[in-house]
Amino acid sequence: MLKKLLGAAALGLVMVAGGAMAKETVVWWDFLGGGDGVRMKKLIEDFNASHADTIEIQATTLEWGVPFYTKAQTSAAVGEGPDVMTYHLSRLPLGVSTGTLAEITVDDLASVGLAPGDYAAANFGAAQVDGKIYAVPFDMHAVVLYYNKDLLAKAGLIGADGLPTGLDGIDNFTAALKKLQEGGTAQPLSIHDGAGDSMWRIFYSLFGQQDGAFLADGKFLDGDNLDKAVKATTVISDWVKNGFAPAQVDYPASIALFTSGQAAFHINGVWEVPTMTDLHAKGELFEWGAIPIPTFFDHPATWADSHAFAIPNNVGKEMTAEKKKAVLEVIAWMNKNSTFWATAGHLPAYNAARENDEFKAMQPNAAYAKLADTAVFDPSSVLAGVASPVYDAAGNFLMPAVNGEIEPQEAMEGMRDDLQGQVE
Amino acid sequence: MRRYDRSEMVTALVLLTPFVAIYGLLFVYPLLKMVMLSFTKSPLIGEGDWVGFANYIKLFKDRLFSVAVWNTLYFVLLSVIPSTILGLLIALGVNRLKGWTQSAVLAAFFLPYILPVSVVYRIWGWMLDAQFGILQFPIEAIFGERVPVFRTLPLFMPAVAFITIWWLVGFNVLLYIAGLRNISAEIYEAAELDGATRLQTFRRITWPLVWPITVLVATIQLILQLKIFDQLYLFGQGGRTDSVLSLVWLVYRDAFQKNQGGYGATIAVVLFALIVGVSVLQYQALRARGEK
Amino acid sequence: MTLQSLRRWNLAGGVITTLTLLGAIFWAFPLYWAVVTTFKFEQDVVREGIDWLPIRFTVEAYYNALFNTKLGLWYLNSLLTSLAITVLVLISSAAAGYAISQLNFPGRRALWWIILASFMVPIPALIINHFVLMADLGLLNTLTAVVLPQLIAPVTVMIYKQFFDSVPKDFREAALMDGASQWQLLFRLYLPMNWGITTALAIITFIGAWNNFLWPFLAITTEDKMNVTVGITQVTDAFGVKYARQLSSAVLAGLPVAVVYLLFQRRVTQAIMLTAGIKG
Repeated sequence: MLKKLLGAAALGLVMVAGGAMAKETVVWWDFLGGGDGVRMKKLIEDFNASHADTIEIQATTLEWGVPFYTKAQTSAAVGEGPDVMTYHLSRLPLGVSTGTLAEITVDDLASVGLAPGDYAAANFGAAQVDGKIYAVPFDMHAVVLYYNKDLLAKAGLIGADGLPTGLDGIDNFTAALKKLQEGGTAQPLSIHDGAGDSMWRIFYSLFGQQDGAFLADGKFLDGDNLDKAVKATTVISDWVKNGFAPAQVDYPASIALFTSGQAAFHINGVWEVPTMTDLHAKGELFEWGAIPIPTFFDHPATWADSHAFAIPNNVGKEMTAEKKKAVLEVIAWMNKNSTFWATAGHLPAYNAARENDEFKAMQPNAAYAKLADTAVFDPSSVLAGVASPVYDAAGNFLMPAVNGEIEPQEAMEGMRDDLQGQVE
Repeated sequence: MRRYDRSEMVTALVLLTPFVAIYGLLFVYPLLKMVMLSFTKSPLIGEGDWVGFANYIKLFKDRLFSVAVWNTLYFVLLSVIPSTILGLLIALGVNRLKGWTQSAVLAAFFLPYILPVSVVYRIWGWMLDAQFGILQFPIEAIFGERVPVFRTLPLFMPAVAFITIWWLVGFNVLLYIAGLRNISAEIYEAAELDGATRLQTFRRITWPLVWPITVLVATIQLILQLKIFDQLYLFGQGGRTDSVLSLVWLVYRDAFQKNQGGYGATIAVVLFALIVGVSVLQYQALRARGEK
Repeated sequence: MTLQSLRRWNLAGGVITTLTLLGAIFWAFPLYWAVVTTFKFEQDVVREGIDWLPIRFTVEAYYNALFNTKLGLWYLNSLLTSLAITVLVLISSAAAGYAISQLNFPGRRALWWIILASFMVPIPALIINHFVLMADLGLLNTLTAVVLPQLIAPVTVMIYKQFFDSVPKDFREAALMDGASQWQLLFRLYLPMNWGITTALAIITFIGAWNNFLWPFLAITTEDKMNVTVGITQVTDAFGVKYARQLSSAVLAGLPVAVVYLLFQRRVTQAIMLTAGIKG
């Protein structure tokens, strides 16, 4: 009898507790296509499984770039944004200036066991505007040079260490492309030159290799920076002009050209690592690898950006304390489990996820991890970052220059004037 | 004039209320607000300062605005006239066929019309894909190299206009077939007896008798294409958007992308005036010719 | 007519027929090519050369489109909004058209002129203020917001008025003699006599709403409320090389309405042809 009563009481307690702990739904938006998408899907599934009774992430993946950021901006302005979203740190100043992002305090972070010291100082600095935190860094990503090991070996471009050799310097790289061409690879290099964003990443790497300052003291491409920009553009446009890379390739085609063996090199973000890894695992890809962009000018430098998590400032829709707690829990969990995210090619922002043995042994990340030391980031400005005027200008000036529609000099001057005209 | 009947007036009131309510709330009111918005410097959502004609002055110095006006008119030119003429030609051809052949051929021409624009975008993006598109084979055979049609500036507008014609011409064909069927066979028989050539028959009989349809088709197409956004946006995004945008696109870009509601509204006001103006002109011109 | 001219006549006719048939094949080809591609493996899609049929047949792409996207939901949203728009536009327009055509009330001429003048209203020019209005009403990201701005249809009113005008007065007077009310006149006489044009307007309004991209693209923010046109271009549903998978969602998106059209082809064409009677 007593047992029964106790049992009933316990059941009652469980029911009360269950009722009080209503499951929180966290609406999540990201822009993660490519191999990123597959990995993130897995992380979200894992999160939902481990929080089956408390939190559920409802994820939507929108088109990367302008479509995503336009939607994020307009929907936050009318209180219809998600609870949490991925955001590029390069775009943070712009996002804060349009009032799209809500502030995150150090206390918020502490409530889920995160602290500014868990991140590289520069990375965490980029998550702030005017001393306030608006995002939590998640990773750092850059562009790398993917290579087809079989084709490179045939052309004698693989060194004793098994890595590509003799690619540094404009002339050497050109010679390598020529060798590949003579070996039967008609267009040895595949770049996504049908859009401005990918061209910007390569351009900015080469520009950084000359210590160029894209924006300084409110002036775009001031002084000899213009010449450096022209030089960087010329390197890329020469690849197209000399027939090493096909012109105006769109994104999926640029990958397909490489994975189908029609191109020996492919310059793209580390986020396509999983595409290669997965194809290779299925036995549908040749031996491949990825290394930092070769040094064409004075010293190594590679464009980089960071994915981060941000909470939209949903106008007229106050976030409940429970919801906020759930959102922060999502962010913290993702960070703490971000070693897995590194399998999508990225370098985790969370120190502990980057400094463990599992990450250090991960390939091909280990082959290009050193690029972090010489990474160059987009200028910190409301005119810069993904889906910003700078990216628009890359589509309108840099891309046609790469494809030989306008001269590099003319393109860079046009880009400078266009952006300078938008400085208010 | 007879006096108003009270019960008739009540009935009229009831019948008109839904339409007038929709018209007032969703057309007149937003239109007035739009004009007011164009005199302010406001974000998309929220208040802004009154700036008088500053937005309009800025507009006429804005290079992108003139590009957008030109592109819009250019697209209209590339799509309206060819789709009207092609509609008539296809209708003439289809009208000769009989039975199931006619049904099948008509279906082939009409089917694209019912597809959503996104589907049309995917299909033609694939057909003309610079690397793997099947049309690159004939293109390579003719021009000696693959042509990235949607990233080659001079080809962009004609290509999108062509795809638009492929998509929408079926509707024009149907209207023309209806017009052709209304021409009695006796007129043609009489012409044949007089020994008229095919061309003469067309010029003297068919063309004048389908003129009202031509007016209708051209007007519908004109109004539709002045509002061009969807296809240009889908095919053009990521590329040289500054060179391929249309007026509606510019409205979207300034108001939604750049969060400049006031300036976006200014472009919208000009677009509005432009469409009304052009439509009235065309309507008058086409009608006048038909009445001669 | 001489035998010679008759021959020339037939030869020219043969050329025209051949051209028409070739044109039809050209028109249908992109549809064929899109469908064939969806049944290939992604690696085969980017193979060099042309495979007119899949060398290895697969429905993997369709599996992805059906199970990794919310295509079914988008379809339902498209259907719901397009149907709502069609029904509401027809009701409000038929009612207004009847009132202007047959009833006498103050302001009738003025109203008619306003409708005539707004014949060419460019609705997309109003997107900003439609967006603001829907935000004020708290309707953004709802299907109602998608429907409302698409209800403005002065042209439909004009067409109804024209068709109601052409109903012979004798019918009306006879019905009035029998003591019919205005409502009975509209529902028992004017609408039934014009079912043809109602069908035509329904089809045209429906397709217009179904194909609308810009406004649903702006008004909807979450995946579960999107319609087909927006969903298949704005939501990333595939990774890596994805031609077959993207095309398969496109094919699925177009398929149902295409099937309906093919089943009722005769009726659809006849209905649309009726609109050719509209005076420009």
